[in-house]
Amino acid sequence: MTIKINGESKTLDRTALTLAELLVINQVESPDVVTVQINGKFLERTLFGTTRIQAGDDVDFLYYLGGGGGR
Amino acid sequence: MKGFTTKAIHGSLQKKDPHGSLRVPVYDSVAFEFEQAADMQQAFEGRRLAHSYTRISNPTVAEFEDRVRLLAEAAGVIAVSSGMAAIANVVLALAEAGSHVVTSKFLFGNTYSLFEQTLKPWGLAVSYVDMTQLAELKAALNEKTRAVFLETITNPQLQVADIRAVAQVARAHGVPVIVDGTMTTPWLFKSKDFGVAVEVISSTKCMSGGATSVGGLILDNGTFDWKQNPKVRPWVEKCGPRALLVFLRREIYRNLGACLAPHNAYLQIAGLETMALRMQKSCENARQIARWLSQSPKVSRVHYPGLESSPYYAIARSQFSGGFGSLLNFHLTSRKACFALMDQCQIVRRATNIHDNKTLILHPASTIFCEYSLAEKSHMEVTDDLLRLSVGIEDVEDIIEDLAQAMENL
Repeated sequence: MTIKINGESKTLDRTALTLAELLVINQVESPDVVTVQINGKFLERTLFGTTRIQAGDDVDFLYYLGGGGGR
Repeated sequence: MKGFTTKAIHGSLQKKDPHGSLRVPVYDSVAFEFEQAADMQQAFEGRRLAHSYTRISNPTVAEFEDRVRLLAEAAGVIAVSSGMAAIANVVLALAEAGSHVVTSKFLFGNTYSLFEQTLKPWGLAVSYVDMTQLAELKAALNEKTRAVFLETITNPQLQVADIRAVAQVARAHGVPVIVDGTMTTPWLFKSKDFGVAVEVISSTKCMSGGATSVGGLILDNGTFDWKQNPKVRPWVEKCGPRALLVFLRREIYRNLGACLAPHNAYLQIAGLETMALRMQKSCENARQIARWLSQSPKVSRVHYPGLESSPYYAIARSQFSGGFGSLLNFHLTSRKACFALMDQCQIVRRATNIHDNKTLILHPASTIFCEYSLAEKSHMEVTDDLLRLSVGIEDVEDIIEDLAQAMENL
């Protein structure tokens, strides 16, 4: 299936997978602290294992470390 | 990986050092570069985990934050420059002019000063209650209350409230409980299991490994629905359930600039690795000294939650695991007697700090509470005949022998 991850199109060699599996497959850094948004909706961490990724989903992995700092 | 010290030593094992260094290096760099402009944009948008500027985040500091997060099983942690910075950041994030905070009538002197002298003039209303009296707490809460703040063990009174019960009362009003867990740390008290929304810690104390450096921590346990707080609510809509942490990182903490120095983070990671071993020893030492002092004819009263005679023994035993802390207080006959004992101490040092490796003694009324009126001191039960002992990790026989010789001529 093809989905968008952080704005970039990505084709996965899977027909079905959960968000928790996507975190592993995509080697998402620091999965314990990442914030996930699917199609604009934030997901509670407790739902990562049961949320199914669908073809065409827009998935964002967010960290919020930066944000206007520095001079 | 389940053990407290195993987690403290190994962390989450996420990143290998490029040179195989077993210690986390000190990234003493202000800025971090990016390969491409687009990478930089992604980092600033939060779509990429990368450090850009040390006032906002830093690899050494992040490792310290991550290890504390693992130990506390918190949703996230932000390290700051001191315990006071942690309290100030959280209160400024949750409350605004015209809003209200309920706190304990027993507070660390500088925390009381922050509420009373720094924040009140900016329009924050503060109520002081006895946290062991839930009716007082309930009566103080109102529609403008933004937080309930208390210390896990009050300093220097050593009062221990039923924190689960306090949290239940606050949550019923949609208000988060913030605890100052400096005296307990996640080794003695896992605040997440007691309904606490946010824990602040002065990592200067138990964590720094013997008073090596000043630092503080903000832990969001991830248990509070931040939509209930008017200031954090917009950040929930914008950034999801980690809203408080994002609000802090992207506004309050960033703009106040009270970041932890990478070198201090390095020292505190080292301290964290041995914290459980040190706390075990200091708590056991404190209990033995409290028992010994309570037998002394020259001591009129001893306060220590680990003494069975303490009114807080039962609640402390039920909510703390592994000990009762390493701070104790005792009364002599007068300030003169207190000063005489202090001046005779050879091993016990006259200094203001707690949870050092060394045992430290001070007279609270003339030092950390010196700027307060007699009425304020009386309200906080800081009397002129009171001494505070922060018990270290020396051999306990030596501390007792030193106190005994210091008491001889009283």
